[in-house]
Amino acid sequence: MALILHQASIALDGRPLIRPFDLAIAAGEIVTLMGPSGSGKSSLLALIAGDLDPPFEGHGQIELDGTTLDTLPPERRNIGRLFQDDLLFPHLTVGENLLFGMPRGDRAVRGKMMEMALKDAGLEGFGNRAPHTLSGGQRARVALMRALLARPAAMLLDEPFNKLDAELRETIRGFVFSHISDRGIPCLLVTHDRADVPEGGRVLAITPQGEVRHD
Amino acid sequence: MRQLAGAALMLLLWALPVLAALAMLLPGAIDGEAWAALLQHPQLWPALALSLFTGSVSALLALLCTLIIAAGFYRSRYWAMLQQVAAAGLALPHLAFAIGFGFLIMPSGLMARILVGGEQPPQWVTTQDPLGLSLVAALVLKEVPFLFAMAWSVLSKGDAAGHLLGQSRAAASLGHGRGSIWLRIVQPQLLKRMAWPLVIVFIYGASAVDMALVIGPTQPPTLAVVVWQDLNDADLAHNARGVAGAMFLTIMLAAVLLLSFSFIALSKRARARFRSAGPSRLGLPKRLAFSLAAMIIAVTLGVTLLLVLMSSAPRWPWPVLLPPNHSLAAWETFHHASAPLWASLGLSLATSLTALALTVAWFETRPPQHDRWLLGLALAALALPQILIVAGQYRLFLLAGLSGTWAGLFLAHLTPVVAYVAIVLAGPYRAFDIRFAKVAQSLKAGPFRMWRLVKAPLLKGPLVMAAAVGFGVSMVQYVPAQMIAAGRIQTLPVEAVTLASGGNRALTAVYALMLALPPLIAFSLAALAGRPRWR
Repeated sequence: MALILHQASIALDGRPLIRPFDLAIAAGEIVTLMGPSGSGKSSLLALIAGDLDPPFEGHGQIELDGTTLDTLPPERRNIGRLFQDDLLFPHLTVGENLLFGMPRGDRAVRGKMMEMALKDAGLEGFGNRAPHTLSGGQRARVALMRALLARPAAMLLDEPFNKLDAELRETIRGFVFSHISDRGIPCLLVTHDRADVPEGGRVLAITPQGEVRHD
Repeated sequence: MRQLAGAALMLLLWALPVLAALAMLLPGAIDGEAWAALLQHPQLWPALALSLFTGSVSALLALLCTLIIAAGFYRSRYWAMLQQVAAAGLALPHLAFAIGFGFLIMPSGLMARILVGGEQPPQWVTTQDPLGLSLVAALVLKEVPFLFAMAWSVLSKGDAAGHLLGQSRAAASLGHGRGSIWLRIVQPQLLKRMAWPLVIVFIYGASAVDMALVIGPTQPPTLAVVVWQDLNDADLAHNARGVAGAMFLTIMLAAVLLLSFSFIALSKRARARFRSAGPSRLGLPKRLAFSLAAMIIAVTLGVTLLLVLMSSAPRWPWPVLLPPNHSLAAWETFHHASAPLWASLGLSLATSLTALALTVAWFETRPPQHDRWLLGLALAALALPQILIVAGQYRLFLLAGLSGTWAGLFLAHLTPVVAYVAIVLAGPYRAFDIRFAKVAQSLKAGPFRMWRLVKAPLLKGPLVMAAAVGFGVSMVQYVPAQMIAAGRIQTLPVEAVTLASGGNRALTAVYALMLALPPLIAFSLAALAGRPRWR
């Protein structure tokens, strides 16, 4: 599994925001993208996920496991995402949130997988709880499990640790990175905080001129 | 002292007349003779069935159309434009629409001229049909813009709108198509927030008197009309039966709502199973949404144009498509008998400004946690059948010597106007960023100066829009105007309903247009005046 960007670029109202660049993320690799606010980091994730809205305009080719994604709608790209907010669906229980993205199939099997995911996240017995009854850390773990249960071929992380306090941040970071690496999923992480960068991982930075360089 | 004044004013001018009116009905609740007479009324059960049918079917169809249109256009480039179209559709009052819609679908109406033609009009029973289908159609066409405006507000404003957008993106990343995201993520949360508007639409559809009198069935009519006839009867026994009938209708509507909510609660497991069944690539019904929206816009525009044409057509012989000649005779007749217009304009101006003042006084003097009392009573005033409240107010005002007076009419109009103004204003008023007030206070501005120079200009948009909504609501009040004025004060809706049952179509069309024009002007002025200057 590999996520590859060929000459990816983003323009805002016709002016270049991110100039064309190439990137290849290998299976299990977590690449970090940094840059000042408004430099286009989140827009780049939206371009890869397929929901970049006007006035932004994206160009270039995105490939995942040899398949070109450019014309596919977001739901067909098989790319999991974590956002700044956990975005658990408030009208569904924790268990229903986890089942939401899980491929269809035998109900008993899906239920077992859900239970395993809850156990994995240290949330055994939490399946019938409403998301708002969970702590910030618990919600973050459910959000990751929900994304992973959809069996994504790549992951995009849009500052997912931003709203967590320092202590929790480190725990959740380890939890997220280990699960993504263990499954061999290529991942692009956007962050402001250098502490979020995985040990030994590649770091890219967007310059004020819109160029993407290795940091 | 200042804190008590805000609540006292609201209590005295609005809450008490509503609560006392309901209390006045209590003796009627235990009047055995009246209930016995009601239960022996030959039209009771068929009329009840018609009321429940028109109310529930129109509410469900309007909801279905709204959801399809919203699903098809949500996050599209036409989304914002559609909200403006819905707002324009809201400005056309129910009564005016019913009159114009009747002209459109009646056997000699424009639709038959276009579709059928021939020497004689077809033998259709399109208006006042025994099943109330024309009433259902008119209600659906009129309620879709209202429900859409509510849905638009939930989906586009405030924190909830942002959360839904984020959740939609998350759901797409989990493999769900746009149709699946709508059905599993957006719609359930939207419906939760639309419960009250839906209840109001159902109650209105099942208990409307003015629309039912113009376009509804007659043999038998809906229960609201049967009750209305009794309430207006000089015979005291019939009057008491009318009060019992209003209560009976209210109880039946409450029972239907209770059943509906029970059904929703019972289907919880099935809904949960559907939502967590895993990703689906279901698409959106874009074509259907477009067709429905286009149809509703076309009919509404057609009805408006038809009213304009009819108002200047002294005669319009079958089967010609357009009136052969035009005359302003009906407009002149209206001009020479314009007292109802001035009465309606004066009342609407007075009630909307009073409602605005009362509501602002409440928000300024009461803490936000007290709003639930105000908004609870406002929702109850709108969710209870209007004939029930007005029947109580009639008895109350007779006792207080206010029947047939301007003061009585003013208080009766104030009931729905304050309810709407409070509901429209509560959100934006309470969302005012308190830091602006604190800055003003730190610059030595007292409470009044701060309100006049900071708060009012910043809240200008919601304030003028709330006043316009109140004005529009007051303009079209038929039930209180007919009953409380007791024939001594004529207002536009009363005249329009009377004319609709007569043969002067041109004059009826003029009255219908004049019902629509002032609210439309008020909404347009509010939209213009409410635009912030600093952007």
